[in-house]
This record gives sequence, structure tokens and C-alpha cells, in this order.
Amino acid sequence: MSRLDDYFTFLGLPRRLSIDMALLEQRFRELSRQYHPDYFYNAPPKERLASLEQSSHLNDAYRTLRNPVSRIEYLLGLEGLQLGGGEGGVPPSLLEEVFALNEELDEIRDAREAGTDPEGLRGRLAAARKPIEDKRDEHERDLQKLSAQWDAQQDRTTLDALRERMLERNYINNLLATIDRETANLEQRTTDNGSRITDNG
Amino acid sequence: MGKVVGIDLGTTNSLVAFVQDGRPVVIRDDNNDPLVPSVVSLGDDGTIFVGREAQRRLLTVPGRTVYSVKRFMGRGIDDVKDEATLLPFSVSGDAGGVMRIGLGDRTFTPPEISAFILRELKYRAEEFFRAQGEFDFEVDRAVITVPAYFNDAQRTATRDAGRLAGLEVLRIINEPTAASLAYGLDQKNRGTIAVYDLGGGTFDISILKVEDGVFQVLATHGDTHLGGDDIDLLLVGDVLREIGGGGPKPMPHEAIQAIRKAVIQAKWDLSEHDAAEIVVAPSSALPGGYRKRLTRAEFEAAIDPLVQRTLEPCRQALADAGLKPGDVDEAVLVGGSTRVPLVRQRVEELFGRKPHSDLNPDEVVALGAAVQADILISGRREMLLLDVTPLSLGIETMGGVVSKIILRNSTIPASGREMFTTGVDNQTAVDVHVLQGERELAADCRSLARFKLRGIPPMPAGLPRIEVRFQIDANGILSVSAHELRTGIAQTIEVKPSYGLTDEEVERMLIESFEHAEADFEARLLIDARNEAESVIVATEKSLRRPDFAELAAAELKAGEREKIDAALGDLRRAMAGDDRAAIQEKTHALNHATQHLAEVVMNRTVRAALAGKTVDEVE
Repeated sequence: MSRLDDYFTFLGLPRRLSIDMALLEQRFRELSRQYHPDYFYNAPPKERLASLEQSSHLNDAYRTLRNPVSRIEYLLGLEGLQLGGGEGGVPPSLLEEVFALNEELDEIRDAREAGTDPEGLRGRLAAARKPIEDKRDEHERDLQKLSAQWDAQQDRTTLDALRERMLERNYINNLLATIDRETANLEQRTTDNGSRITDNG
Repeated sequence: MGKVVGIDLGTTNSLVAFVQDGRPVVIRDDNNDPLVPSVVSLGDDGTIFVGREAQRRLLTVPGRTVYSVKRFMGRGIDDVKDEATLLPFSVSGDAGGVMRIGLGDRTFTPPEISAFILRELKYRAEEFFRAQGEFDFEVDRAVITVPAYFNDAQRTATRDAGRLAGLEVLRIINEPTAASLAYGLDQKNRGTIAVYDLGGGTFDISILKVEDGVFQVLATHGDTHLGGDDIDLLLVGDVLREIGGGGPKPMPHEAIQAIRKAVIQAKWDLSEHDAAEIVVAPSSALPGGYRKRLTRAEFEAAIDPLVQRTLEPCRQALADAGLKPGDVDEAVLVGGSTRVPLVRQRVEELFGRKPHSDLNPDEVVALGAAVQADILISGRREMLLLDVTPLSLGIETMGGVVSKIILRNSTIPASGREMFTTGVDNQTAVDVHVLQGERELAADCRSLARFKLRGIPPMPAGLPRIEVRFQIDANGILSVSAHELRTGIAQTIEVKPSYGLTDEEVERMLIESFEHAEADFEARLLIDARNEAESVIVATEKSLRRPDFAELAAAELKAGEREKIDAALGDLRRAMAGDDRAAIQEKTHALNHATQHLAEVVMNRTVRAALAGKTVDEVE
């Protein structure tokens, strides 16, 4: 398999976190026209395979760079700072919130199993969600600030800070998912007669 | 090299189209009919009937006739058990395996049934090219459309059907995207389009962005078990309940099919009128017959829950595309079921604009498939279709949880990697379970295949690093490759598709299909004879209905001529009711003979009328 360029290079974009979206879209269309398998039907098998690989790579690159969060994650990987899949334990900056949340969730679970009115529990879950959401918003702002800082300086310190924020962010998202699952458990109990649950985003 | 066509392999009807002088054209039969009903019937002698003929047989030999086979493509017996009770044909199969459809004493898999339909379309196209005087009229390659929301197993089953029909399947493309290509030929060349496709058995919504000739799908959603069939089923159920459902004896399938035909007619009528009648003629299966008036308001109240079920996928697709309904520049309607006024109304309410339906909703998908086929063989680059995979792809990990590798709405081709290792010392094989779907647990997703990675070099547990690469190609079909990173040794992968056919099975079916080719040829001759008869009948009736016929008959026909024509017409109609090809041909010939003089008279009058009032110069 031939080595393909990194996503930024492949799309002809500078390795920066702020990118010109219109340019990204335009490059994506141009390169699609160049590599898409549609245009290689009559080509020899080797060229057909290359077209499949290049257009897959292009699509993966486009998808990754279009989203600001996956863009940061990808850049960190390029710079040798993989986030890794494992749970690295609770980030120190979140210890307080995580502790409080776990306590509250345990209580809510117990109450649910004891048959407490789900309406009240739903309110408690929403209240527990609030500080975590605030943390996430704070992180979004931090990530934006740090992204701009990297684009200006391209220094290791900023990268390390970005990585730390990203790990925290993933952790926060897991917490929010846990709360959502708990909320869904309540919903299921109230709609046992089969009406569908739809999440209105 | 032979011809290339685009095929819409529909739940209810199928069509074939090709590009002529840069424009896509649907190929019609001698009666100018573009549709081949997706119905297949097995004759007593093993003859296979497809299309209108099979549709007729649905009323007389329902147990040997299958319709809506598309709903069973790539599915297992467990998926269809519930709806099997109302089906006239029997379904069987092992739990977790391919389902089989029983017709008489033979059984067929859904791809085999679909292959019969594809072969009919191939034949129709070849006859057309031959009649055009083409030397190389054989059709050997095709683009075939599938619902956007079809999963890997359903796509693979469709590709297998193409192979079984003797077609090289150049590409599987999504129906709504195909439709957008057909529309894109004339429309302005940029904007956001929502394609709402409600067909006979499936529903799709696709949101596209069109710019610089690139048709980029942003998001797609749907339901592969929601369509006009469900409306029919609902109405049939109502009728059955009314005429003594719950009785001791189940209703014979002949009666159910007659009711089904009647409610479909009423459904069609209600798209044009405020009320319609469901009329079932008395028969041995239903001696009393049935007749009931249905208003459009009643009809709409009954089907609204079904129509509502299409709206949630629309909202989901918009959300996935990061758009609001107001961001959509144009909404396009595709599929026969979008003729229902309530469907149009709901779509208009959702998107806040009147949906487009300039192109015939039955034909637009086949036209788009032909455009795509032309792009593939010509290499022209003005237009490019970039589609997405409708469902996330993942593998089962510890505890039955799915780890997603390629997310839904990723532009295809797309790829993903996952690392595996061993759990025991010197383990040389690892099992991998591939799934498609959005749910967290493997049990809630669609099982696509189980792979065994073999040939792992013996090492202590946890040391091997096996990289498995998942590749979704432009057809939306998955392939898998793997190699161990420490040694560089490539692993062999044994694929056991969960609901599909293995390559060996496809090969065997191909051989079998040649063995049956002779019986199929007989069926073909019978169908041709019928079509010929049909067109003679239509021409005769047209002459008899002329406004000037009475005067013409008095002036120019011989005594008893009219009676002879009527008798020949009656004879042919009786012959048409049976399956005797020789008799049909003989009576067709007789009718032709009886009407020969009438045809001359009519022709002369037509020519005289056309010439009247014109100068000699103009005639010459």
C-alpha cells in the first residue's frame, strides 16, 4: 500500500486549527473529481485500487478536518500526542464534580429502584447535569482559545494544554452520556405501554 | 462490449433505462408500458413468468406467485415471520440464515427471484436495441439502484441478483441519489435538496448539497420496511375484519389477492377523487363479493400514522446534516406512493415549501441510474455523485458492546482500522463479529458477518498486533483485510455472511439457472404471444370506438363483417385467459385476418383526413 500524505497536506491546507471552510469544501470537490472510482472503471486494476484508496483517504480527511474537535485530535496525533483509548482515571481538574455527580447518581438509582416518582428524579438529573454542562462550555471556550494560540505560536506547551483539555472533554462527554442513560431509564419506566421515545435535539 | 443500462429494481415495479444522445430514456414494451411489475410466478411445468403475466397469475395461482420480494432481500426468516401470514407464498429458512421462498415444489432465495426480474429487464432492453437495428444488442452491464437505507446484506443480495441474471453490476447506487441526478440535468446547478422517496416497500430521505456538478449527500435516513405495501396491508386488514375475519376458516389467498387488487385501485382513485369504491367481484373464494365506499378523509385518517412515520427520519437526516427544514432549497418527491395527496401535504408542511414532482416519480430513479451508468463507462467528469453509508459499521467487543469503526453518513468510499490481539498464549486465530447499526449492544444491531482471522504467528497472549482494515466501497459494500503488524504476515479471512449467499452458492445457482433456461424460454414465448395479442385487441377496439364508426360501417363494411370481428375478438379474449401459447397465436392471427379490411378502411380515411386542406406541394 502506498503511503498517503497527512490530511492537511493531502487537502493542500496549512497545518493549522483554524481552516477556511469554503476552501476545504472546494478542495474536497476538486480532489473527488480527481480520485473518485467512478472515473476509473476502464483503468487497469492497479489504478482502480489506487483510486479506491485515495478517495477513501480523501473522504476520511474531509470528515476529520471538517469537525473542529476531530481536527484537534488529528493534529495532536500528527504531533505525536495521541489521546489513546484507555481511561486515564479522573482528570484532577474534574475530581470535585465527578465525586458529587457519582454520589447523586447512586442516590437517584436507589430511589428509582425503590419506585420513587420519576418526575422528581428527572428534575434532580437535570440539576446534576447543569454543572457538568457548564464545565463543557468552559472547555469549548478553552479549546478555541488554545487553537488560536497554536496557530500563532505552534509551540509544544500549547499542544500539551490542548491534549489535556481534550482528555478532560472526553471525560465530560462520558459523564453527560451517563446522565442521559439514567434519564432514558426513567423515560422507559414512564412509557412502558410502547410509545416511542424520541430525542428532540 | 455490450450495452450498459440503468435499472430500478423496485418493490412493486421495475424499470430499465439507458442514455441516448446524452439524455436518459426509459425503455418501454410494445404497449408503451415502462413498468415491469416485480412479480414472479412459477408455472406447473417449471416455466417462470415475470411482470404483467405473473401479476395476472397472482389472482389465479397465488401459491405459486411472489410479489414484493425486495422486502426480503438480505433478510432472515426471523425478520419476516410476522408478515408471512398474509403472504400467498410460503417462506422458510434456518434461524439466522438466508430465507427461502416456496413456489409449488421449488424454493428460491430472494436474490434468485430478483434475478428473474432483472433477466426480464435485460431481455426487454435487448429486444429494444435489436429493434433499433443495433448489431451489438446484448446488455451485459448495469447500474442497479437500492434504497439508500439498505444495509450491507441487502446491497450484497442485490449485487448477487445481478450476477445471477448475467449482468456485471457496475455500481449499486441509492435511489434518492439517482433521482437527484436525473433532476440535476435540468435544474440550477447549486443548492440544498431534500429527496423524499416513498416507494412500494421502502422509505428514504436524503439531503444533498449540489455544487459545481458534485452531488454530495450530506445525510440519509429511512425505513426499509415502510411503503405503499403497508397502506395496502392496512386496507386489506380492514376489509378482512369487516367480512368475517376471525371466522373459523382463514380467507383463501385468491380472495385476499382479489381484495388487495381492489384496495390498490381505490387507493389510486383517491389520489384523484374525494371518494372511491372498493369493489371485489364475486368469486368462488368470496361468493358475496365486496363493495364499500371510502372517502379521502377516511383514507387519510387511516394512513396518517404511516405517513407520520416518515417524518421522524426526515428530521433526523436534517439534524445529521446540521440543517433546519428552512435551509432546504428544494424538496423532490420520488416513488409511486408520493402521489398520495396526504404525503405531499405532510412533506410540504415539514419543509415549508411545495415539493417538486416535475419528473414522473415512477421513472426518475431508473433515469438517474442510466445517467450514472453513462458516467461510469464514458468517464465524463461533469457530474459526480458522492454518497454516504447509511448505517454505522462496528465490531463486537467485550461484553457484547459495539465499537463503531465507520460512522453513519460518512462519504463513501470510506475506511477504518481496528487493532486486535490474542487472549491466550500461542493463539493462532481470532473471531471477529461485524455489525451495522446505531445501537450500543451487538444484539440490537444487524449482524453482517463473522470473520475468523487465521494464521496469526504463535506468540504470548496480547503480543500480536493485528490490524484489521474495513473498506466500504462506492457501492456501500464492505470488504475486510488484515495483517499482523509485528511480523507483517497477512491473515486470511473466512467470511460467513449472516444473511447472504456465499460465492459457492451464487455459482451453483448460476449453473441451475442455465438448466432452467429452456422452461424460461417457453415462458418468454408465451409472454410475447400475449403482448402481440394485447396490441391487436387494443388496435381493434380503437377502430370500433371511432366516432364515425357507425357511418363507416354502413358505407364500407360488408354484411356480417362486424359480427365476424366481434366473434374473433371474443375467441382471442378466451384464449388469453389460458396459458396455451399456440391457441393465443392462432386466435391473434384470426382476429388480424378478420380486421384486415377494417384496418384498410380506417387507414384510407386517416390519410384522406390528413391530406384534406393541404396543397399538393405540401404533400410532396
